[in-house]
Amino acid sequence: MSILKGIVGGILGYLLGAALVTSIRAATGAEPWDFEVATMGAYLPTVVGWLLGVGVWEYWARPWFGREAKPYTTVGWRRYFNFDTDHKVIGIQYLVSFLFLFFLAGLFAMVMRWELMNPGRDILTPSSYNGFMSLHGTMMVFVAVAAIVGAFGNYIVPIMIGADDMAFPKLNALSYWLVPVVVAFLTASFLVGGYDTGWTGYAPLSVTTRTGALFFNLAFLTLGLSSIVGAINFLTTVHKMRAPGMTWSRLPIFVWSIYVTSWLSLIFTQFIALAMLMVVFARTLGMAFFEAAAGGDPLLYQNVFWFYSHPAVYIMILPAFGVTLEILSHFSRKPLFAYKWAVGGMIGIAAMSAFVWAHHMFTSGMPDVLLKPFLASTELISIPTGLIMLSALGTIWQGRLRLHVPMLFALGVVFNFLFGGITGVFLADAPLDIQLHDTYFVVAHFHYVILGGGIFGLFAAVYYWFPKMTGRMMNETLGKVHFWWMIIGFNFTFMPMFWIGMNGMNRRISDYVPNLGGTNRMISLAGFFLGMSFVIFLWNYIYSWWRGADAPSNPWGATTLEWMTSSPPPLENFDVIPEVVGGPYTYGDKSAKHAILEPRL
Amino acid sequence: MTAVGHAAHGVHEAPAKRLGINRLGLWFFILSESILFVGLLMVRFSLLGTYIHEELSQLIGLMITVILLASSFTAYQAERSMARGDLGATKRNLLITLGLGTVFIAGVAFEWHEALEAFPPSTVFGSVFFTMTGVHVFHVLTGLVMLAIVHRRVRRHETTSTDSWPVEASVKYWHFVDVAWVFFYPALYLIS
Amino acid sequence: MGAERSDNRVDLIIVAVLWVALTGAGLWWATVTNLHPIGASSNAVISDEAFDLLLYLSMPVTTFVVVVLGYSVLRFRVSLDETEDAAPVRSNRLFIAMWVLITVGLSVYVIFNPGFTGLDALAADKNAEMTIEVTASQWRWDYRYVEENIEFLDADGLVLPVDTRILFKITSQDVIHSFWVPAFRVKKDAVPGLITEVYMTTTKLGDFAQDDGFRNQCAELCGTGHTRMRTTVTVLTRVDFIAWVDAQRNAEVSG
Repeated sequence: MSILKGIVGGILGYLLGAALVTSIRAATGAEPWDFEVATMGAYLPTVVGWLLGVGVWEYWARPWFGREAKPYTTVGWRRYFNFDTDHKVIGIQYLVSFLFLFFLAGLFAMVMRWELMNPGRDILTPSSYNGFMSLHGTMMVFVAVAAIVGAFGNYIVPIMIGADDMAFPKLNALSYWLVPVVVAFLTASFLVGGYDTGWTGYAPLSVTTRTGALFFNLAFLTLGLSSIVGAINFLTTVHKMRAPGMTWSRLPIFVWSIYVTSWLSLIFTQFIALAMLMVVFARTLGMAFFEAAAGGDPLLYQNVFWFYSHPAVYIMILPAFGVTLEILSHFSRKPLFAYKWAVGGMIGIAAMSAFVWAHHMFTSGMPDVLLKPFLASTELISIPTGLIMLSALGTIWQGRLRLHVPMLFALGVVFNFLFGGITGVFLADAPLDIQLHDTYFVVAHFHYVILGGGIFGLFAAVYYWFPKMTGRMMNETLGKVHFWWMIIGFNFTFMPMFWIGMNGMNRRISDYVPNLGGTNRMISLAGFFLGMSFVIFLWNYIYSWWRGADAPSNPWGATTLEWMTSSPPPLENFDVIPEVVGGPYTYGDKSAKHAILEPRL
Repeated sequence: MTAVGHAAHGVHEAPAKRLGINRLGLWFFILSESILFVGLLMVRFSLLGTYIHEELSQLIGLMITVILLASSFTAYQAERSMARGDLGATKRNLLITLGLGTVFIAGVAFEWHEALEAFPPSTVFGSVFFTMTGVHVFHVLTGLVMLAIVHRRVRRHETTSTDSWPVEASVKYWHFVDVAWVFFYPALYLIS
Repeated sequence: MGAERSDNRVDLIIVAVLWVALTGAGLWWATVTNLHPIGASSNAVISDEAFDLLLYLSMPVTTFVVVVLGYSVLRFRVSLDETEDAAPVRSNRLFIAMWVLITVGLSVYVIFNPGFTGLDALAADKNAEMTIEVTASQWRWDYRYVEENIEFLDADGLVLPVDTRILFKITSQDVIHSFWVPAFRVKKDAVPGLITEVYMTTTKLGDFAQDDGFRNQCAELCGTGHTRMRTTVTVLTRVDFIAWVDAQRNAEVSG
């Protein structure tokens, strides 16, 4: 119902904005109706209209105008379709939404691999191939940026720190309800014919290409807004909402990862907003930022874009590191090894991420004197990244490893990321990057990092926290089948891409030299095999949620706070406020305790 | 169970703790927004160096800057009066702030009108000028909306000195918008 | 406690042996396998050497992680319903110190070699015998031979003499493209309003029919025609090249 009101609000907003812009244009003597200009002008009213309709007005804004806020009466499954401020509802909203986006974008990848099965044209025109490729990239980036943070950051972090909710529950709902706007804009871009700029949307192409690019820009802008609002919330929550005794050195590593990630979002997301704004203004108002003929700078976009988008890679991977280290400790029944070094590694990665962006631009024509500094800074970032590996290996060494499904996925992250990280060292080497840049070597590299690391981390988190979130267990055997199927499919799909990249297969092409046909066909088949592994997951996920065995409060025997409350936790998470008395990983020490959950006098 | 519990959500929180949370959140928000302004300054200098279009009106620039600074002072007075519990002075100062903010926007609108002839958005200086002032004016507008809502609430005694957070928040945000302009003004008008 | 220690020693020895063996095998594989496509320029040597060096350096790092990971999973796994904890080892100064030292050492080393040395080598010789202006637009390549004063609009192929130092001056007329010849390991973006430069020396004869690395392929997404935005590249002997230039001039005159 509230979604319906939101849609009405959004449409009214759009009409209002478009009418305003059109009448201004008519008054100034310009051609009144211009779809892109009207849409640009209607962007804000549309978003505001949707948000007000979907619940901001009823549950939040009414008191600003001296009215009573509507009491919250929705119960049961309907809560998930409502403007709900409970962080646990929002976490599940994020999870389901982004899994949906993930599978949709995955289907697009299947379409792309079908086209790439053979040299020459199979099923897609070059133009529609570009459309699928761009949407695949954009949606997957959105998933990687927001899925773990949105789903598990929201659901788990407040519980892990012993809080009853996030610091700003209403803002939290708002940041989730911006996500449907993102999806709507992406859909709109698809409906008006897509866009062919890839997820990087380089100007000047993004300025001159078809209308779909405008919606891509607006979608990215909206996701950025959602990220920033979320980041403010996480930072404030971790600073202010920790239970008594939860000092910084007692924070579970997953909380640290979300905390550090939120700093990155808070600072750097503004640059994507800026990049998108400049392109939108260039498209609709004819602004000349990137127009060389008018004195603008075509490389400006890349600088601003990567100033966000490289840190964004760490926004994607740090939460997965957090999940991985968390799980490795619990399933090795051993305290996290070198905890402080791992935290330092995360902070180090975040701090250094501001100084590496131009390694995406080694062949761009940027001044030669900048090659060396960016080469150096990029190679150095492997030092803090190495600390994460150090912590991972030290944790499993001499542990007592129980290979439950989440543990398998966490080990998978370490294995896959190893190749993603090592090939990053190759790409950072500017003399070599000249050859490898914009080839499938890069495609393989970032899929090893983001799919092999980030998305394996997402699945690790899903399997790990599913019992907590739903109160039911997932099927262990199906989970194991999924894991082995997925990691084999993954490596057979992406390992050969390093080779075809070195051998002349460039990115973002629907056709290639015949010589590469055999390997491409093998990659496509492996890709379809990988794609099918998710059928197992989906079945397991849906069936277990519906019919799975009841989950006890602590099925894994883990030590952090979320396992000290029921599955799923009650409203406000704990019946009594926990008192934290020790570190989060108390394995091997019977006398150690993380928290006391007894009513105090 | 959920319905009742949900309505009561957060009520057991101490007001002082809530105030601390709100303040920190606002500071994070301001920090993030200021990065947008820093980014715009970076764009300005990277594209144009210290170039300033000669037809940029120094007089209007100075006038709107003074007006905005004055509005920051009255906003500060509003916050102080609120702390003293002087609702009358609070309302008066908020109203003056609203007025000054509106005059600022009118000034920018007038300037835009001139600028459209001298350096339209299709020039690089125009692009930078309209985007910088546009983004800033957008922040001024949101500040005005907030101040207007707060003014109405104070007038209707819905915000009182025991719960003055809405006043504090909107005034702090207003100061931020001013400070942003304090960096934009020399970068747009004076450096050359 | 004593028993645990000796266990640890056996584990460490096994891991060390596996590590050395796997690293050796990996390095052997890396030396006998040629991963590179045909390289036909001075820049290709620099690029391929950089790759090989990084491959050798990364081999022990990769095998170390794989061995520790694999060994731990096989050796330290227990059944799923075990609840007993492992010994609470939270830190190991020696291991951490070694790890940090080695990662810092390796990172700093690769910055200088192959990083800086490669960049210096690429930029060393700025005396070209020949200049070619490359202009990209949606979706075609134009080549202009400056000294020879011949021009090809919407070209089908780029013809070059062997053993010649060539300067490519690259630009674009609309969006960003990228000039990439895989066999030369040369890639530079074509940016509107900017002339980017690449120096390289051709070292091998060849053409597209013989090896598809001899092609100029647009490497920066530039819209619908991006996929097919490519021309062949042919490297001729210097004598043949002069003859080819003459033939082009004559064709131009008669045309």
